[in-house]
Amino acid sequence: MMKAFRWWWDILLAFLLLGVARVLLPLPFANEVIIFSIYTMGCNFLLGRVGFISFGQPAYLAVGAYATAFYLYYFGHNPYIGILMGILAGWVVSAIVGAFFVRLRSDYFALVNLALAVIMFYLMEKVLATITHGDNGLWFLTTMSSTPVLDLGRPNEFFIFIFLVAMALWAFYKYLDDSIYGACCLATKINEDKLKFIGYSNFNIRWMAFIIANTTTALAGSLYAVYFGFVSPAITSPSRAADPVVVTILGGVGTLYGPIVGSFAYTGMKDLLSGYIANWELFIGLLLVFIMLAGEKGIWGSLEPIMQKVFFRKSTLTRYQDSGDEIR
Amino acid sequence: MMDTQLLISGVIFGLSIGSIYFLMAIGLSLCFGLMRIISLDQLLYYSVGAYITYTIHFATGNTWLGVLGGMAAAGLVSFGVERFVYLRIYERDIAFTMIASFGILFAGVGAIKYVWGLVPRPVPVPIEAQVNILGTGIPVYRLIVIGISLLVYVGIWLFLNRSITGKAIRAGIEDVEHVEGLGVNVYKLFTVTFIIAGILSGLAGGLHAPLIMVDPQMGLEVLAFVFMVVIIGGLGSIKGTLISAFIVGQVISLGSLLYAPLAQMAPFAIMLLILLIKPTGLYGSKLLKR
Repeated sequence: MMKAFRWWWDILLAFLLLGVARVLLPLPFANEVIIFSIYTMGCNFLLGRVGFISFGQPAYLAVGAYATAFYLYYFGHNPYIGILMGILAGWVVSAIVGAFFVRLRSDYFALVNLALAVIMFYLMEKVLATITHGDNGLWFLTTMSSTPVLDLGRPNEFFIFIFLVAMALWAFYKYLDDSIYGACCLATKINEDKLKFIGYSNFNIRWMAFIIANTTTALAGSLYAVYFGFVSPAITSPSRAADPVVVTILGGVGTLYGPIVGSFAYTGMKDLLSGYIANWELFIGLLLVFIMLAGEKGIWGSLEPIMQKVFFRKSTLTRYQDSGDEIR
Repeated sequence: MMDTQLLISGVIFGLSIGSIYFLMAIGLSLCFGLMRIISLDQLLYYSVGAYITYTIHFATGNTWLGVLGGMAAAGLVSFGVERFVYLRIYERDIAFTMIASFGILFAGVGAIKYVWGLVPRPVPVPIEAQVNILGTGIPVYRLIVIGISLLVYVGIWLFLNRSITGKAIRAGIEDVEHVEGLGVNVYKLFTVTFIIAGILSGLAGGLHAPLIMVDPQMGLEVLAFVFMVVIIGGLGSIKGTLISAFIVGQVISLGSLLYAPLAQMAPFAIMLLILLIKPTGLYGSKLLKR
């Protein structure tokens, strides 16, 4: 019992804080933070665990969003099934695409993903304009049917839903980090030759990591779609391609709570700063450079050792922090 | 069938776009070859070059002077960035420098918005004249852009093959540690290369400014295309960069003549194809394995 509590307690604490934030902060902001943190989670896993830096996450976001949108616009009205469709589409697409991409080196990987995001953008904006309605986007907010337990059409019930989804995802990623598979991911990042020598297939490990990460991203996409009730090609715009990477770095690469902290800081800064000045990019950019120069640990990566000392009075995080030293 | 006039103007358009991409990609390629960094901030020097061109044109009415000023400003900014940021992180992993350089680019876009505002600015074409080639009117300015980029190619080639610094840079692309072992201060080489790259990006910005509107996001807009040029050509190869720049330029301009929506997408499809068949790009060397 105690052990199970130990395992769960930091997730519960994190989400308790998030619940408090819901009371203190406006609802749209809280919704956006949670969806963004799910979006970033995939990128964080790829970058921190497997060592792949991807500038093309919007492509997978769009896959999820458009799969949901197609279902809700053309076929059905139930948002839950729409979200399931998004996950399914994300899974299929990342399984196909991943089989080709994970063979590439990490710098090429970043750029090929960027290329995919651009292709996806023009695909949705121009080539498939007859079914995606181009820049006008698909609107289905009013046609979504209300669902019995949690009505996803209402923002406050939607919040509870994504809150639970995010919590489940965090537990899942925490489980992955503790499992042998998580250790294999770290090993393929640090020394793939040795892992091969032990008898694991690097390709399979990376492929699976790619599928897990980008299915998560697609889930975030379908959550965006249901939340706004509207999808347009802007979601995969190449100029926003680096957002998840920025947030990952901001929060702390490879840490479990980095994505939440990062998206909180990023969305908050964007909302606060853009209220006063138009050039919030200047601050984000300088912050990013500063984090990189100061040891690339990010906000949560720097806070975590202090928190551990205060709460546990011991340092159990050599395991997590191994990855913080170098990004490959 | 496509008529000849359209085809010729399409080819010239493609060549001029390709020239601009080449000027920017050459810096990226050199930086990657020598320092093993992916310097996304070259796109910032491109925007700086374009904005300085606009400002000087606004003040003096002379676009060519503006281009020169843009080159100088881009060189200065890149020198500052190299001193303050890159000198500390050359040793780090490539993904690390990529993220740091993205931070610089992002901050630079913010700074540009702060100084020049969000509104796109027009820069008039310095030479309005047209020449007649096979019955098609071709703007002289585009021909000049192509000429300048070819001159730059020759100049870079001479620099790398005839001057002692250039030879040291070429040797450094093969193996930095050996060059260091010969007693060359490689960090000086890095600085020189970085400033050359910055100046060329500034030149690209200045030359591109009259062809498009100058706006704060312009760097991010060409980011994907420039990277594609570098990747198709093979990181670290100048000849490959020139060839792939012209290929990409032609694909964009001729593609848009055939079927408009394809124009933006086709180059990326080609890049995916080339990478999947030959992961080092057309002229990338095997030496560049990590």
